[in-house]
Parts: sequence; C-alpha cells; structure tokens
Amino acid sequence: MQKVAITHVAQSSGMESRESLMDFTYRVNREILDKAGLKRQDVGCIIAGSADIFHSGLSCANAFDWDGIGAFLKEGSRAEESAFSFIYGCMRILSGRYDTVLVTALVKGSENPDNDPITSFYGDPFYLRPTGINESVVAAMQMRQYMERYGVTEEQCAGVAVKNLGNALFNPCADRKRRVSIEDVMNSERIYDPLKALECAPKSDGVVAVLLASEKRAKKLTKKPVWLAGYGCSMDHFHPGDRDLLKGRLPEAAKRAYVMAGVGRSGKEIDVAEVCEPYAFQELLWCEQLGFCGEGKGGKWFDSGASRMDGALPVNPSGGVLATNPYPARGLYRIAEAALQIRGEAGEHQVGKPVRTALAHSTHGFGGQCHSVVILSA
Amino acid sequence: MGNAVAIIGTGQTRHGRRTDVCYPDLVREAVTAALEDAGITLNDIDGVVLGTMPSMMEGVSSTHFYFAEAMGSLGKPVLKVETCGSTGQSIGHCGFFWVASGMADIVLVVGSEKMSEGDGQATMTTVFDPFFQRTFAAGAPGVFTMQSMEWMYRFGIPEEKGREAAALISVSNHDNAMDNPHAHIRMRVTMEEVKNARVITYPVRLLDVCPASDGACAVVFASQKATRKIGRKPAWIRGLGFRGEEFFYGESDKAVWMSATEAAGEAYRQAGIRDPLKELDVAEIYNPFTYQEMIFYECFGFCPRGEAPDYVLKGTFRKGGELPCDPSGGTLCTNPIGATGLIRLAEAALQVTGKAGERQVEGAKLALSHAMGGVDQFNGVTIVGSTL
Repeated sequence: MQKVAITHVAQSSGMESRESLMDFTYRVNREILDKAGLKRQDVGCIIAGSADIFHSGLSCANAFDWDGIGAFLKEGSRAEESAFSFIYGCMRILSGRYDTVLVTALVKGSENPDNDPITSFYGDPFYLRPTGINESVVAAMQMRQYMERYGVTEEQCAGVAVKNLGNALFNPCADRKRRVSIEDVMNSERIYDPLKALECAPKSDGVVAVLLASEKRAKKLTKKPVWLAGYGCSMDHFHPGDRDLLKGRLPEAAKRAYVMAGVGRSGKEIDVAEVCEPYAFQELLWCEQLGFCGEGKGGKWFDSGASRMDGALPVNPSGGVLATNPYPARGLYRIAEAALQIRGEAGEHQVGKPVRTALAHSTHGFGGQCHSVVILSA
Repeated sequence: MGNAVAIIGTGQTRHGRRTDVCYPDLVREAVTAALEDAGITLNDIDGVVLGTMPSMMEGVSSTHFYFAEAMGSLGKPVLKVETCGSTGQSIGHCGFFWVASGMADIVLVVGSEKMSEGDGQATMTTVFDPFFQRTFAAGAPGVFTMQSMEWMYRFGIPEEKGREAAALISVSNHDNAMDNPHAHIRMRVTMEEVKNARVITYPVRLLDVCPASDGACAVVFASQKATRKIGRKPAWIRGLGFRGEEFFYGESDKAVWMSATEAAGEAYRQAGIRDPLKELDVAEIYNPFTYQEMIFYECFGFCPRGEAPDYVLKGTFRKGGELPCDPSGGTLCTNPIGATGLIRLAEAALQVTGKAGERQVEGAKLALSHAMGGVDQFNGVTIVGSTL
C-alpha cells in the first residue's frame, strides 16, 4: 500500500478576522504553498472542508470556497466536515493518482449566528427540532448522565476548561485565552444545567491547510514528513433517544484507527492527543473511549495530571476546541496541531517529551454523533 | 495507474412527487435496490458516502445524520461530499477514490433529494454571494438563459436554429423517458408544443426545463478483488475529471465553459479516448435546460464549437444516432438534484452492463456520465466501460 504524509501546515488565528472570507482563505493557502515552495499549478488536487448556508450564509459553500483555495480549473472536491476532507485527500494520494493534495478547511464564525441555533438544524423539523434541541442541550444531558453514572464531579469537568484555556495562552492561534480558576468556571453562567459558559466552546474564525504528499514526493518536499498511520470513523443513530449517550461509537472508530496503525488500545503508544472537546466534560469521556483510561475513570485520570502539558499523555496542548472553535474546520485544526507536535514545531505549546505518535480526534453532531480518529507518526 | 474500481450495483427510486414516503424512506428505497442489484448485504459495505443539496434545500443540516439508519451507515465510516448540482458526480468520484485507495473493498454511495419539501429556486439563489450577485439572481433559469444567449451570440447561431434544435432535444428526451420506469415526467411532446410553451426566461420555455423531482440513487463501488468474488457484471471506471471555475459569474467565459471542457478532457486522457463521438457508445449528460445540452456537446468534443444545433438536427444524438445522449430521458425529465449526477453514472453503468432494459443502447461498451453545479461553475465527468 502507498503511504501518505503531511508535509506542511498553515493555520490562521481563531480570533475574528477583518478580512473577507475569500481573502482570509487565500492568505493561509498562499502561506502553505510558499512554505512548500510550490505554485498552485504544482498541486495535484485540492479538497475543501467547509459547511454551507448556516456556517457561511451561502448555499453550496464550495462555489465560494473555490477561488480562495486556489482550485480554479484544478481537480478538486469538498467534504462537509474537515476530518472528512482530510481523509478524502489522503485517499486521493493512496489511490496512486496524485502526488500532492492540498486540504483546506475554512469558516468565519464571526459572521454567522451562534452555534446553538445552527446545530439545532441537525434535528429533523418534525420530532426533534420543536423540542428546542441543539448540540449544547444534548451535551448537558450527556454531562448529567456522565456525572451520575460514574461519580465524576462538576469540579473535575471544570478542570478541563482550566487546563485547556491555560494551554491556549501559549498558542498564538488560539481564540479564547484566559487564565481561569475552577471557581471562575463554576461561577460562570449556567448555559444549560450543568454546563457552564466557560465549559462551552466559543465560536471562532479559522482557516487551516495541510499539504499531503505521496511517500516519494514527501521526502523531496520536507525533512520532517508526518505519516498517516491510522484512521477510523463511525456513525451513530440519528435520534438521541435511540442512543446511550455514554456508550457511543468512539471506541469503534478508535479501534479501527489503532488496528490500522498497529498500536495498542491503552494509549501507551500515543505521545500526545488533540481531542475535539466543544464541552469540557467531553474531553474526559472521549479520553475514556479512546482507551486512555478505564470506563468511568476519566475524572480520576484527569486528577492524576496525565493529560497536562507535562503529563504522561498531554491532551490538547493547543488549548483544544474550548479555546478555538471554527466549527467545520476544527477537526483539521486538531490534525494540524498533532502534526506540529510530531515535527517539534508547536512553539511555546510544544510538549516537553519527544513525540513520535500523535492522535487527532474530530466529532460533530449531537453528543458525539460521528467520530473520526486520525493517528499520525514520525 | 492505481487500483481498478468497478460499479457492481445500482439502485434508483421511482422518481417524481413522492408524498407517499418520508425523506429517509426515499433514501432507503434506493439503497435497498442497489444492494439487491449487487447481490450483497449491508454487512458487506465498508463505508458510505452521502451527498445532497445544501441544508437550505433539505431543511436539515448535515443530512448524513438524518439518513444514518436509512443508508445503513450505523457503526460504519462515512464521508459527506457536496458540490452543488455536481454532487452526484463528486460522490461517485469519492466512492471511486475510497476503493482505489485500498482503504475499503466495497463502498456504498448515496445521493438524494426531496424537492417537493423544499424550495429549489430560493436555495439556488443563496449560492450567489449576498453582496454583489444575489440581488439580481433569479434561481437557476436566469443564469442558464444568459449562458444560452451568450453562446448563440458568440457563435452566430441564428435564434430560430437554436430554438429548433432545443425543441428537438426536448422531444427526444421526453420520448426516451417513456422507456424509463424510474423517470418523473413521462409524456410525449411535439415540436410545436415545446416552441409554444410558456416562456420561463427567454428563450427558455417550460418544456426546455427540468422538473423538480423527489428521488434517490445508490451505487455500489467495489475493488477488483471484491468484484471478482461477487461475480456480478461490472462497469469499470475508466476515467474521471472534475473542474470548477471562478465564483463570480462574469469572470469566466460560459460560451466556451472551460470547467466542462477540461473535466471531460481529463476523463478522456485517463480513458485513452481521442475521438469521443466515435469511441463513446452512449452519454448521459446533465441537461436541466435544453440549450445547455448543446453547449455540453461542444465542450465534450462531440462536435465543433458552434455546430451543436446542426448535429442535433441531423439526429446524431438521438436514439439510433451516432452517439445517443440521455436514453434515460435525462435530467430534463427527472431532477432530484443531489441524486441527479449519480443517476447519470448509474444509467451509464446500466448501459455498459446491458441492464438498461427498454432504454438500452444496443452493444454499448463505453459510456460517459456527467453533472454540472453551482452558478454554471462546476462540471464532473465519469467514464465507465464494460472492460477494464
């Protein structure tokens, strides 16, 4: 089988951009091509990752994306979620038909409505939406169940926000950076009980690009290629009522990625993880389901300090989605950050230990409706 | 180059106004038919690709959630790919690359639309940006008509000749749809009826325009190994191309239409086709408007620029002609947008496997399928053959 590598990464800040979306997109794409010493004509294929009307005010977002991502009269496509666009880009290389693929995910959250009204449209208009459902509502139900079933405390969940917003202080691309205490989180406004404001991700702008290359080409383009080692994805039921919100499909997605990468399920072989946690407690739940600790042990594992920047398995050294949430692009941000950690180029938020294998996770939908897990290696 | 990929099964719903089923059930109808055609079950599927029109059309965002059960994707990897009207071709390409990458053996690709529950023209107006273009946009017909006029003016095609050829395309497509049990509009029309139909946007009249249909299509892609094992007659993917041009309508030349020309050119290179008119046996062209179909003939190299009306009037593209186009009745008689491009591919696969029933083109071995999307911005082409 062919191999595929990430050879370069470029990302914008998550803070509100004053540029138009097209200029904003163009700048990051220009940057990655300059880094690689390529012109857009040299790239085999371009894949966009973006969501339409609710996230951009435009239907068929690929129509508007096309110029800024440099895809004029080039082979290309668009996937609706950025982890999808990443793996689709990888498939194009693995097929042996392309040597280089540019994957760019983009959104200007600052120009759109809040996340909750947008995510309410995941629900169907007949049975779900009239209940007032949205991603935060389901997350609150999930958090309540999580605490009641396993005895995880509200303070442990709040601790995730303290850790991640603290990590974000060292990430120049982070949107929300604040030194906060457990008390600050506990005292922030209750959005949907038991979720507090500081435990919910903000709404950010963001353009992120990764350049993918075949094995042969990657070695010419960079001294530090980061290889795709594993990928897994799994889809859950549509109706939240058909699901056990604490027993989702993440273990299945992770297993697929671990098997493909040939690493064990315990997380021992993973040096750092970028996990998609739009709600603080979800980082604990996802870490359990990724196999980093036992079922219901997420709180205790967190208290052990394992997931801190200097811990045994640092989680979200970038500050994660709690700090920066460009919704449809956030999955590719996780992947880009994982690649930077392996390359040792994460700057001030580079973890202290050597990183050979990194995990990037992405999820969208109600309470982890669809999960993607990517394993990268040096 | 790379791994070979085949289509081993296709399924379509009965297209039309489907108030008898809810949207997920419409999807399930196509998926069930495709699995049956391929002789496999959901357990054999390694991954599912979905595409529809944008959220505003569906009334639900991220429809891969809404259809999770209907398309049999529970516990499976999924990919959601969308490129406006060309979605049907783009999801087909994604199915191809998923299998060609070696990451899956069998992939199910699903495209769907329930136009009767949404507002197609309002949705298409929101493809235009809100500041410069949306104020004058009037859905799809306004743009496509501008393009038709630009094309006729550019190549000095007399309006009457263009009108006559467009009317003949409408008549042949409607005749063809009579042979297709899945088609939405099944009625015969005369040249006079087309030419005297109500004007939509001049010169396009009601019978020059596709309907708004409910419908879904599913296609099963398989690796060479899986194809041999399952033993169904395959349609091999021989070439594929996708191109897009500038977002702002006025920035590119729609009479020559580079995205259509280059998408086909790429597919021809891969398939080793030099003279498409001679080498292709049948073409399924995405033709929501009769006039546009002629522009496609030229972009795809079926005839020289500006001469499509002459070829049409000679009968080159009719049933029994040198290169029959849209024997299914085409998009002109059935248009569930998110599914339409995939229906073109499914029809092409049916033709080269000899399974097209009444609409079969005798001895078809090499077929082109196509879809167009955006504000005249995107074109995708897939060529399938009975041999690898």
